[in-house]
Amino acid sequence: MIPIELVLGFSAALFAVGLYGILTTRRGLVALMCVEIMLNAANINLVAFSAYSGDALGQAFAIFTIAIAAAEVAVGIALMLNAYKTKGTTDIDELTSMRW
Amino acid sequence: MLDALTGLGVLEYVWLAPLIPLLCFVIAGFFGNRTPQGGGYIAIFGALAAFVVALLASYEYVMSDAYSAGEAFVRDLEWLVFGDYALNFGVYIDSLSCIMMLFASFISLLIFIYSVGYMDGEGKKKRRYYAEVSLFLTGMLGLVVSSNYLQMFIFWEIMGLCSYLLIGFWGFDHPEGDEATENAASAAKKAFLVTRLGDVCLLAGLFILLHMFGTLDYEGMFMQAKIDAVVAANPVKFPVAMALVFGGAIGKSAQFPLHDWLPDAMAGPTTVSALIHAATMVKGGVFLVARSFPLFVQSADVMLFVAIIGGVTAVFTATMALNNMNIKRVLAYSTLSQLGYMVLSLGAGGYLVAMGMETGNAELIGLGVLGYSAGVFHMVNHAFFKALLFLGSGSVIHSTGTEDMRLMGGLGKKMKITSITMLLGSLSIAGFPFFSGFWSKDLVLETALAPASHGLGAEHWFTLLFALGMITAFMTAFYMFRMWFLTFAGKPRERAVLSHGESPKSMTMPLVILSIFAVGSGLAIFANFLCHAAQSLEVGMRWIMDAGRVGINEHVYDGIAVVKHMFGNVWTYVAIALTLVGMAIAHAVYAKRKFEPEAFRIENKGRLYKLVANRYYAPEIYNQISWKLGAGVAKAVDLTDRKVVDGAVNGIANAIIGAGDAVSMSQTGYVRNYAGVVVLGVVVLAVVFVLAFALTGGI
Amino acid sequence: MLSEIPLLSLLLIVPLIGAVVTLLMGGGMAKHAGKAAGLFAAITMVLSLYLLFVDDLSTLDESHVWIDAVGLKINYALTVDGLSLLLILMTTILVTLVLVFCKNEADRPNYFHSLILMMEIGLVGVFMAADYFLFYVMWEVTLIPMFFLISWYGGPRRHYAAIKFFIYTHVASLVMLIGIFAMVFEASSVTGAGIDFAFEAVKAAPFAKDFQTVVFGLLFFGFIVKMPMVPFHTWLPDAHVEAPTGGSVLLAASMLKMGSYGIVRICLEALPLGAIEWQWVMIGLGLVSMVYGAYACIAQKDLKKLVAYSSVSHMGMVLLAIGTLSEIGILFAVVQMFAHGLISAALFMVAGAAGHNFGTRDIPLLGGLAGKFPLFAAFMMFSFMASLGLPGLVGFVAEFGILFSFWEFLAAQPDEWVTVLIAFGPLYMLLTAGYYLWAMQRTLFGAETKKVDLSKCEDLGGPETVALGLVCLLVAVFGIMPSLAVDFIAPYADTLGTFLGGLI
Repeated sequence: MIPIELVLGFSAALFAVGLYGILTTRRGLVALMCVEIMLNAANINLVAFSAYSGDALGQAFAIFTIAIAAAEVAVGIALMLNAYKTKGTTDIDELTSMRW
Repeated sequence: MLDALTGLGVLEYVWLAPLIPLLCFVIAGFFGNRTPQGGGYIAIFGALAAFVVALLASYEYVMSDAYSAGEAFVRDLEWLVFGDYALNFGVYIDSLSCIMMLFASFISLLIFIYSVGYMDGEGKKKRRYYAEVSLFLTGMLGLVVSSNYLQMFIFWEIMGLCSYLLIGFWGFDHPEGDEATENAASAAKKAFLVTRLGDVCLLAGLFILLHMFGTLDYEGMFMQAKIDAVVAANPVKFPVAMALVFGGAIGKSAQFPLHDWLPDAMAGPTTVSALIHAATMVKGGVFLVARSFPLFVQSADVMLFVAIIGGVTAVFTATMALNNMNIKRVLAYSTLSQLGYMVLSLGAGGYLVAMGMETGNAELIGLGVLGYSAGVFHMVNHAFFKALLFLGSGSVIHSTGTEDMRLMGGLGKKMKITSITMLLGSLSIAGFPFFSGFWSKDLVLETALAPASHGLGAEHWFTLLFALGMITAFMTAFYMFRMWFLTFAGKPRERAVLSHGESPKSMTMPLVILSIFAVGSGLAIFANFLCHAAQSLEVGMRWIMDAGRVGINEHVYDGIAVVKHMFGNVWTYVAIALTLVGMAIAHAVYAKRKFEPEAFRIENKGRLYKLVANRYYAPEIYNQISWKLGAGVAKAVDLTDRKVVDGAVNGIANAIIGAGDAVSMSQTGYVRNYAGVVVLGVVVLAVVFVLAFALTGGI
Repeated sequence: MLSEIPLLSLLLIVPLIGAVVTLLMGGGMAKHAGKAAGLFAAITMVLSLYLLFVDDLSTLDESHVWIDAVGLKINYALTVDGLSLLLILMTTILVTLVLVFCKNEADRPNYFHSLILMMEIGLVGVFMAADYFLFYVMWEVTLIPMFFLISWYGGPRRHYAAIKFFIYTHVASLVMLIGIFAMVFEASSVTGAGIDFAFEAVKAAPFAKDFQTVVFGLLFFGFIVKMPMVPFHTWLPDAHVEAPTGGSVLLAASMLKMGSYGIVRICLEALPLGAIEWQWVMIGLGLVSMVYGAYACIAQKDLKKLVAYSSVSHMGMVLLAIGTLSEIGILFAVVQMFAHGLISAALFMVAGAAGHNFGTRDIPLLGGLAGKFPLFAAFMMFSFMASLGLPGLVGFVAEFGILFSFWEFLAAQPDEWVTVLIAFGPLYMLLTAGYYLWAMQRTLFGAETKKVDLSKCEDLGGPETVALGLVCLLVAVFGIMPSLAVDFIAPYADTLGTFLGGLI
């Protein structure tokens, strides 16, 4: 079996990539994708712990997360589309009308 | 026939005396305009009924065993019970109550009758007038028959309310225009507030008395053992309480330094002035001192204070009458001065009794009781001649339409009845021999001199007070005849020419009746009036009377003896001489010599004249005090309230809003900032947990 | 049979039904909303009047467990005794008269009248509650209708006033709530019983003195803001000036009494040792409020603001009386609450009528009203005289008793010099007479200022006259025969006074 450290290291790297993306990008769609990457990093952890502890509950949670992620992407892309339609941009630094 | 009257048992129903005018107040107040004269006849009926009740009840009381045994007639109902205290509502009849009841209701009756003519032109306002004067009479009668201090205070304040309403009768619509209107409103307020200052002192005094005695019933308080115990237990508080009670009398009876409301009160109708000065209101204060005499005499210091206030008021206010040109004002000052006499008499008498008790000297007690009786006697005489003078002046004002004596003159021919009756009144108040004022004033002066001549300490004070009293007697004679000559003698001036002659019968008839009493009431001294008046002291302070029985017999109990003693005293003749001199000067200046009203303009005269004409600047002093201590402080409080107190409230609110605004600035709207903060937060938390884990060495 | 009817609950249920029914009477029915509300208020009043004829009020007590979960026991418990009886009566009577007085007050009458009835539920509820949780709920229930009465029907600065009123008193309520929780939980830990919010359960607990002192402070703060005492009073003038007449009347007459009621009912009954520690604070605040409020009155130009400050001054008397912690003091504190309720109702009706009928309440603009509007003048004079403590009216009885109880307290102090503090009493009475008389001189008497066009103005109408007349009648009746009121309170005051006296 692959040692759990490797799996966790992989998931951490993946999470770091997503986090780096979200902190650096100004493009809305890329930010959404980065969120997905981070979610999937969490999923890997869930599955890994599930497999190593022999408890299927973690895998069930992973499937929940995937379902929610799908819904979230649907909402997110819809928001981006509408933002593009009304503001003409998906640059998230431009979309600041909700601040104070 | 008389026995049948005593059999009626009116005494049990003496509470009807205040109650009937109260009902008349309600009836006249609600339905007055549906009756002729706007309820005038209702008010007259009320006063008449009250007088009849007073007369029958007094007769029955005087005939009863209680009277000769020196006991009061007392009936009480429980009014309010709280804690260990019970306050009652009831009647307390002794000779003082009877005297007060009789002259208050009788004079009020005459004034009400007079009002029918005098107030005829007031239209719909008559309803208010008659309702309020009825309530006024209720206040006075309730005051004098009260069985305890609290009940007395209630009626005392009702009188204050009525004086406020009646002085301000023209307060929103004076026939002489806006200025007079404002003036009346202002005078009413002044009367109420200045007397209120005395009232709150009185109330504070009553708190102390109630706490010390456990009751406010006269019957329960005027007991030797109780008074001795209380005085012994409260050597400081007791005199303070009595001084505060006297504060109430200072306000109500317009003694110096709270005297200045009374001249302003002339803004009301003349009949109201007559009512306030003769029958009600200002007599309340004197009554209070007389009623509380058994308590007052426990403290010689307080009695000295009372005497000084009385003497100072007598002379101080008399000076202001010397150069005033307003016929009503002159009478108002004369009232103040005469009230001063009464208070002086009670004060000096009380001082004598106090000293007599201290030294065990029966004669002093007798002289003191004489002073008390003289004060009451002077109050009764004053009631008659002052009512007469005010109603007479009302008749003059009614006829000429002015109160300014410079515009009168020569009215004697046009208004015969008025001029003659007023002459009789003036002779009485001036103390012309054998007129009523003569008898009582002379006794007052004798009392004032007694402590000095007996060497009781405070000789300087009493010598001074006696001298002031003598000067006042001289001034009284002068200013009263100045008034009479200016009004009725000489040639008719501007308004006198326009006078429409004598007043109607409803006005002259009371004048004639009053003049009979004003001349004759002094003769009551021969009917042992002084002895009867002293009976109320026997009720209240039997122990003192017993101690001084010998002295009292000599001084009070035989009217003839008192008169003999009076004419054996050299000062009596001095007083008569001073009176005659005063009258002669007035005659020389105002009747013989022609003079121009112009000469009496204030700006032509010296400082003293100005000082007196401006009432020693008392109104300005009152104004300054009330503006500085009232409105001035109020402005400061208001400013503090808005700027500091409310400022703090709004400041806190604004600070919270500002803090919210400041914090909300961190919401930049940049998603990446938020993400960064979240990451930072996670890192910080992680570090904290790791450190905590490391430091505590595991879970 | 009759005894099985939950009378006290009915006093809450009838106005509740009334409030709902009135609220639903929108549209064309709206003009009848006032009558409907008046009917329900009248029924409540009649029910409450029945309380006077009950021999033993404790037979009316109701107590049901309301919530019993997670270790908390919260009761729906109602009670009436000498302390609350007159306050309840006063509230139900005044609500009825207010509804008579304000027939044509608002443009959406159904909301207005419904809010007044909701107020009644809260007010009566506070005075009847025998459970801390219920007490707090009812306390807050009064807040909401009053907030809307001010912010919907108020004057030009109504939003500021409404929010100030709400936040100020709500913050105070929260402090009070902390105190209540502290008391309830401490009671449980002291006695070892479960957590029970009932008054009785807490009262039985022997609290330590230090605990009482601290918690007294929390509750006391909550209550004096409501009374209100200087320096926490500034919400009151603003709220009064902006509130509609009906709201003002209930605010002054009943709502302020919640504060003083709370002090007696909770602070004194449950925390007597704390009360003794705080005694001089109560007396000091009372004295300061009396004189400060009276001075503030002199400077006011708005009639309603003047009356509002006079409430501060008169409620100061109540706190002073409570502060004596004596039988007489507590007795007359309640009498003063009752008296001030009636008198301030009349005062605010008069001030409100001036605003409605003459278009302004500004004292310098008015003048010479007595000649043209005799009815208004008579009522104004009567209510002012009642408020300045004219003997023969109910205000005097209360003032006399309170100042006397204060004197008794001072005379019993070991330091002689404190007796001079009695001077505050006469000063207060003098100032009170001063500002009322000055206000009357400037509005009723004197010449017309011509600054307001009075030619088209009308004197009081029928409903206004009836409502004011009845209030004034009560003021006179209880003034002439104070024992009518005092006898109901005396047993309660006796018990509490003796209890406190034993601790001092």
